[in-house]
Amino acid sequence: MPFEALDFYDVDSLLTDEERMVRDMVRDFVDEEVIPKIEHACRDGVFPDEWRVALGEMGVLGAPLKGYDCPGLSYTAYGVICRELERGDSGLRSFASVQGSLAMYPIWDFGSEEQKQHYLPKMASGEWIGCFGLTEPDYGSNPGDMITKAEDMGDHYLLNGAKMWITNGTIAQLAVVWAKLDGVIRGFIVEKGDPGFSAPEMKGKHSLKASVTSELVFQDCKIPKDRILPGVKGLRGPFSCLNNARYGISWGAVGAAQACFDSAREYSLSRIQFTHPIASYQLVQNKLAWMLREITKAQLLAYHLGQKKDAGTWIPEHISLAKMNNVDIALEIAREARDIHGANGILDEYCIMRHMANLESVKTYEGTHDIHNLILGRHITGIQAFTREL
Amino acid sequence: MTIAVLLKQVPDTTAKISVNGGRVDENAVSKWSFSPYDEYALEAALQLKESVGGEIVAITAGPARCEKLLRDAAAVGADTLVHVSADNINHLDSTQVQKLLAAAVQKSGASVIFCGKQAADTNAGSTGPGVAELIGASCVTLVSEVSSDGGGYVVTRPSSAGYEKVVASAPCVFAFDKGVSEMRRPNVRGIMMAKKKPIETWSLGDLGVDIQANGVNIDSHSPPAEKPPGQKFEGAESVSTVVSKLRDEANVI
Amino acid sequence: MECTVIAETSGNSIHPITAQLVGAASSLGATPTVVIPGGAGAEEAASIEGVSKVISVVGDYFSTFDSGAWASAIAPQCSGVVIAGATPIGREVASRVAAKRGIPIIQDATGLKSGITITRPIYSGKVVETSTVSGDCVITLRANAFDAAGSGGSASVNVVDQSADISIAVKEAISKASERLDVSEANIIISGGRGIGEKENFSNLEDVADIIGAAVGASRAVVDEWGMPHSMQVGQTGKTVTPSLYIAVGISGAIQHLAGMRSSKYIVAINKDPDAPIFGVADYGIVATWEEAVPALKSALAAL
Repeated sequence: MPFEALDFYDVDSLLTDEERMVRDMVRDFVDEEVIPKIEHACRDGVFPDEWRVALGEMGVLGAPLKGYDCPGLSYTAYGVICRELERGDSGLRSFASVQGSLAMYPIWDFGSEEQKQHYLPKMASGEWIGCFGLTEPDYGSNPGDMITKAEDMGDHYLLNGAKMWITNGTIAQLAVVWAKLDGVIRGFIVEKGDPGFSAPEMKGKHSLKASVTSELVFQDCKIPKDRILPGVKGLRGPFSCLNNARYGISWGAVGAAQACFDSAREYSLSRIQFTHPIASYQLVQNKLAWMLREITKAQLLAYHLGQKKDAGTWIPEHISLAKMNNVDIALEIAREARDIHGANGILDEYCIMRHMANLESVKTYEGTHDIHNLILGRHITGIQAFTREL
Repeated sequence: MTIAVLLKQVPDTTAKISVNGGRVDENAVSKWSFSPYDEYALEAALQLKESVGGEIVAITAGPARCEKLLRDAAAVGADTLVHVSADNINHLDSTQVQKLLAAAVQKSGASVIFCGKQAADTNAGSTGPGVAELIGASCVTLVSEVSSDGGGYVVTRPSSAGYEKVVASAPCVFAFDKGVSEMRRPNVRGIMMAKKKPIETWSLGDLGVDIQANGVNIDSHSPPAEKPPGQKFEGAESVSTVVSKLRDEANVI
Repeated sequence: MECTVIAETSGNSIHPITAQLVGAASSLGATPTVVIPGGAGAEEAASIEGVSKVISVVGDYFSTFDSGAWASAIAPQCSGVVIAGATPIGREVASRVAAKRGIPIIQDATGLKSGITITRPIYSGKVVETSTVSGDCVITLRANAFDAAGSGGSASVNVVDQSADISIAVKEAISKASERLDVSEANIIISGGRGIGEKENFSNLEDVADIIGAAVGASRAVVDEWGMPHSMQVGQTGKTVTPSLYIAVGISGAIQHLAGMRSSKYIVAINKDPDAPIFGVADYGIVATWEEAVPALKSALAAL
């Protein structure tokens, strides 16, 4: 049955015809090819390869990038794509976020002309998967102190170090890796098969189970000189990638929340207790009304942020607010939805527990909830509170 | 070869239909879609074009909202888009609708016409054979597959024994049942191209059609009679009673 | 009122719907002419009560269904208000006759009153449309929606040998493969649950399905426990289905199952437990064991 999204304020009527057509295309894909398979993918802990193929065929990877066979859509359209994908599963949206915002974007913005021509077309088509190596086992919120380093050996670079929590790592053909060269953070393209590079999969996740999460290990990893991204130095490189990915998440979370709301509404209307549907009880209605309220606000935030992205009038703090808020309410909505589903809410017959567990990761990755609060705190007061002399 | 595909925009089959003031309330329809059998017709046309070449003209008749349907058809590969402007499409009778479509088909230059076996709103199935009659074409309905056979077309339709492949040549109308493949999903490139594609809007005057007075007056639309509350029967001997109720009351077997 | 009924034939005789068409015409006060495409069963048609005369239109082309040839052959005999069956052949021929005569057609009527006022379901039965036609028109009638006229008539039979151009040729006949319908496509579904005891008993449901062209579905419990194909599963994590008729056999009606089938137009539940929740959504509930009810269902359906 096709999904009819909750859109109380008719926010989607503000989209362009083209954006709505893209929405319908992705929504249809999620209805027909994701929802029927997602629970099995989670149980098996795999990302179905046919989803990669379908995303490439639809032409949505690297959505807002122009040229080099990239889609050239608006940032608003990119947001809509993320929302529709995450209505299916956060793992699926993560795949698209990492491919587009974290792997294709830095090549597109900071790569050489040769790098763009070589990598972007096959990444847009989904033929090649990319991943993004910034976080390390000991450096998450504080990437500036990363240990991974690159040495210039004259005719090649030598990478040493390890990255962790890398979405798509094991299945990727290339990794955009951030490492210190002479103390300065630089981006490098590492390809699968480069000597000294391995990407073992991390197992045992209770969250994002249909997404591949890996470590990237570099042991005297030798890469050619033309694999450095010439266009950027310092944390600005990875942070500009993260801005785009976080922007997508602010939309994606709305999709997960819509799915949970939809299931809760449906369930509450059909579940009979004390001879009436539980939807007829005030405590349940209160929960549903609260969900409606929060989803509507989140939709307006995401849409307006999209307009600012497209107009170029955004600042990173705008993204922090939307990412933090929308993931936060999506997680709370998943928890409330679980409550409405009672015991049934823990079964994989319903999407609830899966979204809830996924959103715990989404709350933490791409800048934790608390770090985004600190970004806003710094913006308000002018005083950074990330660190201090103890 | 030009294939005209006749498409009708209908409320999505999952959409709630409400009646207001004795008429179906179109403003309350949350989602408009292709009539599902028309999608099979369009997909069959796309596949035929891929195998033997040609051009696809998508034709729809109706109010301005139907332009979305044409864009969706363009996104999956329709070459030319024709909107027969008819704001009151749902108040026209079958002769009027068929005259409009037959004139549009002839103006488009197509001699092969694909359509759905019936539209999901009226479920009538008059349009395909009616248009065939008006343009002097042969007609095959309930088609599930079509291929080109040099000069003609080979189409599969049900028969009393199962299926049969029949041969017909242009001018011909094929009205599709559920086909072998679902309509393809568009892609971003197709959507971007569809946005730029012009839509030709043809009025009654452009088509030179005089549709005359309506022969059918719609008195009212009303919700169906409430189903009787569930009935419960004891014992297997009640099965035959239930079966006759299914036939006579429910009309489902 | 001048009225013509286009008979529906079946092999060498007329199809029973023909008497219903005559019955409907009579209810409008007409004594119709019955036109038989191909001429099969003319005597039988002549004996239907209320028929004024029978015209058998004959020609070689009636051996292949070509609505163009058929309509051009019978149209000269179809005057006044024309009534046909809303069957695949009836709908197609009637559409062409209407277009040829330039008169409107209304398909799949379920009610008629003089005037002529016609009711028909639209939007898959979500709405009933009532309309009035003043001049001549063509109306096709839904099978079993009208009372059949009785027998005992003795109308004259005229045979008209009519030529017509056939433009369709049958190239190949393919006998029906015995493939089972998918639940998401079927108009009728019969589903089994844990109550039918074991996997092997599904063959009894398949027998019923074969008679009425139904798909066979299953609840999650049996899909998981008995290793049935997941494609058969109806419910929250299986298919959501909306057939005209859903027959649940030995399914108690857990909320997850109901989520997948409660929008079916009609629901029949067969369960031995009178308190099973499935009866809460059933239009027709039968409290009986499947061992008794399913064979009874099979013979009742076969007798239709």
